[in-house]
Amino acid sequence: MSISRSTSILAVDFGNVNTRAILIDLVDGVYTLVAQAQEQTTAGFPHGDVGVGFVRVLTQLSVSTGRRLIAQDGRVITPEEADRSGVDLFLATASIGRPLRTILMGLFGEMSIASGKRAAAGTYVNIVETISLGENRALEDQLNAITLARPDLIFITGGTEGGAEGPVLELVQMARTAIRLMPKTVKPIVLYAGNNAILPQIHELFDKQTGLFIAENVRPTPDRETLESAQKALAQAYNAFTEKRGLGFEVIAEMSSIGVVPTAQSYQTIIDYLGRTLRGSVLAVDVGSAVSTVSASVKRFTATSIRTDIGLGHSANNILYSVSLAAVREWLPFPATDAEITAYAMNKSLRPSSVPETVRDLYLEHALLRAALRTLVRDARPTWTPDTALDRADAPLPYFERIIGAGAALTSTGQPLLTAMLLLDAFQPVGVTRLQADPHALIPALGALAYIIPEAVVQVLDGRNLEDLGIAISLSGTPRKGRAACRVRVTDERGEVNTYNVLGGTIFSIPLPLGVAANVQVSASGGVSINGKRRLKFDVIGGTAGVIIDARGRALPLEGSPRGLAAQLPAWYEQATGVKHEIPDEWLAVPDAPKTDAQPAQKRRGRRKKADAVTSEEPIFSVTGDTPAEPKKRGRRRAQTPVEAPPPSPKEDEIDDLRDLLS
Amino acid sequence: MTYAIYFPSHRHMLGSALLRRERTLPDMGVRIEVANMTRVSLTDVVMRGVKPAPFAVIEGARFFGLRKADELTELMEARQGDRIEEGQTLAIKSRGKRLISPITGTIVYVGDGKIILQQTPGVVEVEAGMNGMVVEIVTNRSVTVEAYGGVLQGMWGNNRRAVGTLSIEPREGVEKIRRDAMDIELRGAIIVTRQPVRKSTLEVMEEQNFRGLIAPSMDASLVEDVLKLQRPVLLTEGFGSMRMNTTTVNFLIDMQGKQATLDAVLPEPLEPRLPEVVINVPLTGNNRPAPPNTTQPLRRGDNVRLRSGVTGKVSDLPKTPILLDNGLRMMCAQVELAGGEKVTVPLANIDYLG
Repeated sequence: MSISRSTSILAVDFGNVNTRAILIDLVDGVYTLVAQAQEQTTAGFPHGDVGVGFVRVLTQLSVSTGRRLIAQDGRVITPEEADRSGVDLFLATASIGRPLRTILMGLFGEMSIASGKRAAAGTYVNIVETISLGENRALEDQLNAITLARPDLIFITGGTEGGAEGPVLELVQMARTAIRLMPKTVKPIVLYAGNNAILPQIHELFDKQTGLFIAENVRPTPDRETLESAQKALAQAYNAFTEKRGLGFEVIAEMSSIGVVPTAQSYQTIIDYLGRTLRGSVLAVDVGSAVSTVSASVKRFTATSIRTDIGLGHSANNILYSVSLAAVREWLPFPATDAEITAYAMNKSLRPSSVPETVRDLYLEHALLRAALRTLVRDARPTWTPDTALDRADAPLPYFERIIGAGAALTSTGQPLLTAMLLLDAFQPVGVTRLQADPHALIPALGALAYIIPEAVVQVLDGRNLEDLGIAISLSGTPRKGRAACRVRVTDERGEVNTYNVLGGTIFSIPLPLGVAANVQVSASGGVSINGKRRLKFDVIGGTAGVIIDARGRALPLEGSPRGLAAQLPAWYEQATGVKHEIPDEWLAVPDAPKTDAQPAQKRRGRRKKADAVTSEEPIFSVTGDTPAEPKKRGRRRAQTPVEAPPPSPKEDEIDDLRDLLS
Repeated sequence: MTYAIYFPSHRHMLGSALLRRERTLPDMGVRIEVANMTRVSLTDVVMRGVKPAPFAVIEGARFFGLRKADELTELMEARQGDRIEEGQTLAIKSRGKRLISPITGTIVYVGDGKIILQQTPGVVEVEAGMNGMVVEIVTNRSVTVEAYGGVLQGMWGNNRRAVGTLSIEPREGVEKIRRDAMDIELRGAIIVTRQPVRKSTLEVMEEQNFRGLIAPSMDASLVEDVLKLQRPVLLTEGFGSMRMNTTTVNFLIDMQGKQATLDAVLPEPLEPRLPEVVINVPLTGNNRPAPPNTTQPLRRGDNVRLRSGVTGKVSDLPKTPILLDNGLRMMCAQVELAGGEKVTVPLANIDYLG
């Protein structure tokens, strides 16, 4: 499908908490993000219909652009009219909705079941029960487990190609019997991805019983795993299921050019495209309210994992099932009881759109967020290696050239350096990394748009429409606190030079305004390096957080006690936000700490000098607010690591890449 | 993100309003018991449904030592669809060997050498929960009732519902109530306590057979216990050790002695209901209250509830994000509390009271 004459594109993404809309239009012949808006999703009380939030978000967009987008009947005006009302193309994506309640069946837990779980990780699936032949449950218990779970899908795996057929058939017969026992209105769909030798029997058993999807065997040999075919079939099964999800989506789907595309599918498309065109590794993590998505392109292979049990809103209470309390406490500058952490998580799930108002709540929220981010990536890692069934989850992360964060908890801090710090804390990259945020749900929109106008996707991505937080330079090793960890020399476009000595144990932002180019030379002090190098010189472009120097060291040297963290974490927050936090004595003294910091602190504990992240040797010029000068045409040494170049004009080969990807 | 117009979350506290509530059941064996546009009272059953019941699998062919599984059909004394009592003969072999049913239920499948019985499903009844009018029926799915009443919406419930009279706990607290000292007014009542729920609160609730409990908060470790209770528990503030805020207490004191439906909905993603208590309030005069306004953007003067539970009036809506003490920068509203104090609160933490 191609609508070459489309110039204006409206895309709306429905999350569990927020509905976000963006307007893309041709500006000087280039597709550009021209406006965005956000409203609360209205699927819950009191409306129970996403259409209400949809109209509101388009009204916001109309107010900000002066452009009428919806007609009297609540429908999007398409195509664009002569008076610039409406748009040529309307697209919708969604991560909202109940995940597929799934029964996973297989022969053995560590073989076909494990592969089945990894295949299911790429779709909005909630595995409510696992049935294997190897378990000790009686047939009756297994049948009851299937029928009483009221599944939407039974996903059957098992058997290697050329292996024994009998045990798999036994499993299949059980599934068939269970389906026969269930009322017609609630019969689950079946996806078979096991030994292909019994496909004739599979068709015979299920064709007249229920909907059937067939995929390649997820475990054709004991040491080989093929997940892609099963993942595609799972996506089809999910789409078939969501057509019936209600909540007003039927009206939205009918208006959209390509129905309602699952948000995670867009992540897969866009991160795959970025991985191929950048010829480097890219990681994107979207921590939603009910669902989280991790998409990674490593060595030009892209995998997307979805966790319906991790989110920092509706699913916040579930985080503690996947993430240990100890992992949360690692990031708390005060001793917190199990009850306090659990209560915070549960209250967050009751008020999924709420934000931390107090210092104590901020630390609890961000501790949950960091622990969730680390768990998401740790668990997703095995899917990044397509041909091997096993992977070491504790191995260091591969080098990522770009890390993109999404989800309100990450992107709505109102403090770009804080958002950057949260990403750095969670993933602890080394060397030079470009950090970006997607506060407006651009990736979901572009993933859907890629099927229709691939060149628009290329132009929007090249056009810096994602929020560029900035280039982060992360030092490896253990920088000494209070001593210079590195010296950074920044030469701006006018040839003016500023030098910064960044102290060990700090995170610092060099104030290079958004979009302004500069040349940066970093010299690491003794005992630390920049991904193994002592010196680095390269061109950068400023982000919303300037250029970020993370001189805290790798692995991040977190203090092991709340008292130590009470000195360490507030200093980092102060460096990231400019706001000084006091950790009152009573928070540290009493294990069952008070639940609020509403009262002012009586005393200061461990009074320290205000954290000076930087000392200046040469005059430091204020670069904020200056109008960027034209780049000088004088000779310049070629950067050793050109991590950033001026945005290139859209190239046909990039568009072809995207077309190939989509085909 | 800035907002030209901001639509807040809703959590109502209204002394009198036109309320519309949908009663639903999952789509298995639902029977609607009322007709459209008929009047219903609080306890009228408007629909019935069945609970999913477990199956019992009997290996008949193996029991009789049959070589062919199909031979079991010929030995059957009962047929698929028959209702069977526990101890009743299911199949018999010529020499007198009998296969006896281990449960009371229905034969749902005979084949592959197996007999599968399903236990008799339990019946679920759904009451109207309001004195009002049936205004909409969706076949096999839902009944919508409209009524005038007061409403207080809370944060969490244990997925139970009950009808009873609203009563405020004695001055010394709910846990001081002893069987012998039980006030007659508290028997079978929905009790309001100002204190967080404790294990001992639940024990008193069971012992004294309260119809339901409205409390501000409870420790998260009690969730499993409370979910097992047969009586509803509603939390107005959430989890932790928060006390009930004064506005909520005063609202409930005003409603004391009135019939109420405590619908302690368990909050889940996409759940279109909130946990709430709907109070039967007699109408006075000819004035009919309007339904809660759910479409209005936040404006100066609106009554709102903050995340801490306290209520106030919006006094200002700044156009740009505000830097909070914790370092976040957010769109906020300025709210004047009952005592005249003004606080700056993120918009995301504000509920419109209706």
